[in-house]
Amino acid sequence: MNQALPTQATAPIAAAARGDLAPLVHATAPIPPDTCVLDVAELFLQPRHAGLLSLPVVAPDAQPLGMISRYELMRIFLMPYGRELYGRRPISALMNARPLVLPTTTPIDEAARAIAAHIKSPITDDFVIVDGQGYAGTGLVIDVLRAVEDRLGERGNELERAYARVKSSQLQLVQSEKMASLGQMVAGLVHEINTPLGYVRNNVEMTRAALDDAAQLVAAQEAVIGALTGAFAPTPDLDARLDEIAGLRTRVDAAALQDLCALLDDTVHGVGQIGDLVINLKDFSRLDQAGMQKADVNRLVESALKIVQHVLRKREIEVVREAGELPEIDCAPAQVNQVLLNLLGNAAQAIEHDHGRIVVRTQVLDRRVLVLIEDNGKGIAAADLPRIFDPFFTTKPVGEGTGMGLAISHQIVEQHGGTIRVASKPGVGTRFLVVLPIAARGAKA
Amino acid sequence: MSAALPCVVFVDDEERILRSLRMLFRGRCEILTTTSGREAIDWVRQRPVHAIVSDQRMPEIGGVQVLRAVAEHSPATMRILLTGYADIDAVTASVNDGEIYRFVEKPWNAPYLIETVEQAARAALRDFAAPRAPVAVRAAPSLDAIAARIVVLDASGTIAGQVRDLLPAAVRVDHATHLEDALELLAEHEVAVVVAHLSSTGGDIADALKQLKRLRPATLAIVVSPLRDSRLVIGLINEGQIFRFLLDPPPRELLRRGLIAALERHAELRAGSHLLLRHAVEAGRAEPASMPGRLLQVWRRIREATGARIG
Repeated sequence: MNQALPTQATAPIAAAARGDLAPLVHATAPIPPDTCVLDVAELFLQPRHAGLLSLPVVAPDAQPLGMISRYELMRIFLMPYGRELYGRRPISALMNARPLVLPTTTPIDEAARAIAAHIKSPITDDFVIVDGQGYAGTGLVIDVLRAVEDRLGERGNELERAYARVKSSQLQLVQSEKMASLGQMVAGLVHEINTPLGYVRNNVEMTRAALDDAAQLVAAQEAVIGALTGAFAPTPDLDARLDEIAGLRTRVDAAALQDLCALLDDTVHGVGQIGDLVINLKDFSRLDQAGMQKADVNRLVESALKIVQHVLRKREIEVVREAGELPEIDCAPAQVNQVLLNLLGNAAQAIEHDHGRIVVRTQVLDRRVLVLIEDNGKGIAAADLPRIFDPFFTTKPVGEGTGMGLAISHQIVEQHGGTIRVASKPGVGTRFLVVLPIAARGAKA
Repeated sequence: MSAALPCVVFVDDEERILRSLRMLFRGRCEILTTTSGREAIDWVRQRPVHAIVSDQRMPEIGGVQVLRAVAEHSPATMRILLTGYADIDAVTASVNDGEIYRFVEKPWNAPYLIETVEQAARAALRDFAAPRAPVAVRAAPSLDAIAARIVVLDASGTIAGQVRDLLPAAVRVDHATHLEDALELLAEHEVAVVVAHLSSTGGDIADALKQLKRLRPATLAIVVSPLRDSRLVIGLINEGQIFRFLLDPPPRELLRRGLIAALERHAELRAGSHLLLRHAVEAGRAEPASMPGRLLQVWRRIREATGARIG
């Protein structure tokens, strides 16, 4: 420890910040109690004591007796004849006989508390540090302050890191919830797309084959007509050609062509259906698009219904759409989609009987848009109702629900400056009401 | 094709799929189409149906359920699943409950679908024509009387132990820790059932099971695996005609029932060789050129033994 340093270097401060006073000990040479005041004043003038507020007075047996401060000496010397009156007295007569004495093992927090309780303002004294053998050195208040500051800074960083961790894990949860609902969707969507793709491909292939037959037929007929009208020399294989025509005509006749037309109509329908699904999928895949936009909630509802259609159809659930006339609202469409999808998915899953019915009503009220989603499913138990928006709360079997769907929906609606409410009766059904403001408030998104 | 056109039922909740299929199969078979799985089941109960091709995801009743009901009422009817999405549960159910012949995905390849359906229908035509007690009234052979041999290929040995516990002493259970050892056993003996533990999709075991089915169609395979991979299972159905696919660890009762059903089926197959057509497999990839010498030799022995047995 370099005694010339007014305060401790950074490393011991950092060490003390995480521990006790030991790294902060200044090995200040103790003053024997019989040293006279003038000699003590000399000591204060020495450069090695430049940073010290006070010097320790220690008995020969290493017991600390007191501390004498620079401030106290100045007070005496400033008195009229102070130097003359007190200069020759032993320092023990003037010292503060009840200095703050702390063991080296004092944790930094505790040292800070003791200093705060003990020290007067302005700060005129440092403190004595002792170990098992008695006097160990002096401690500087400013060192303790710096150590405490260091420690607070570290805690601040820790808090910041913890906050960042929580935030990123929440983002991950939101993401995994999206993935879970996407995963369920994908199964249905792949099927929804592959079905039209199945007949479209087959129809096109069959049409292609039929066109080959038709082309052959036309060629054969032309050859025969040419031969008959004398346009070209009669071919010796006229009979063979006629046979060929007869054969082809069993495959290419008016009825077959009509069938082909019907197949092509189906094909056009199927391609349209695939196109619709792709557009809806595109709406949903823009999950990163958090930006505010003008959007028609009725369109978002239609889009969400289309996405869950396979579930609804599979369970033969009737959907009653009561679409009110709505103005476009400021919202993040992908996020609102996520909420609608979640509520519709839950509604469908809640229905365990054969006459399932989901009512989706939209209307304007005041300067807000209301979306009501009501099912006649099994309902939510009264005990569960207050918890349904809690993260990780789920009544679904393990592995089927993340327990995050409603929590995230709730968060999304709140971020839009809206509200989401629920009413439910076991055995009768559940009703969710989502209220969204038409105009966004401030920069919330 | 003669007057005896096979009858094929197509089930799909999309009318347009049915229209398209009707056109594709026109003239090749007697076609019945319906959007209702229940109607399809009714038809199968009322008249001979040689093959049924069903979608999986349908509102009223799922494809696997339809095929299971068909298997129950008319075991000779060949069952094919034609579906747009293969989730693992549907795929495993289609093997275990539907005992299907092929799992075909939409959009389908037309020549492949035609060949698959015609092959299936041909097998069923012979089956329907064969004068024998219908499979439904299985005079369940007493298990004790079956002195069959089962080979369990499983590195850890836990499944082998389980299989041994579940079966009467008359059934001989051999345990092989390596593929080579299992194949040695197959080359030496007539094996009724192979129970194989599959821990990776890329392994030789899946390929070996497929190869084995081509050479030993009467040997039935039960696969136990922790892999929830629908592609793997579809490959094992179409190219390996596996008899059961059980997720690891296999539920005791499912394993027991699977083993007994497999032993019974093996006995049936031995009794009526025409039934083997029902388990015909797709030509898979050629044997890997890099096959180690010992493995190659074992395969040769199995092939020779097969020739001798047939000849």
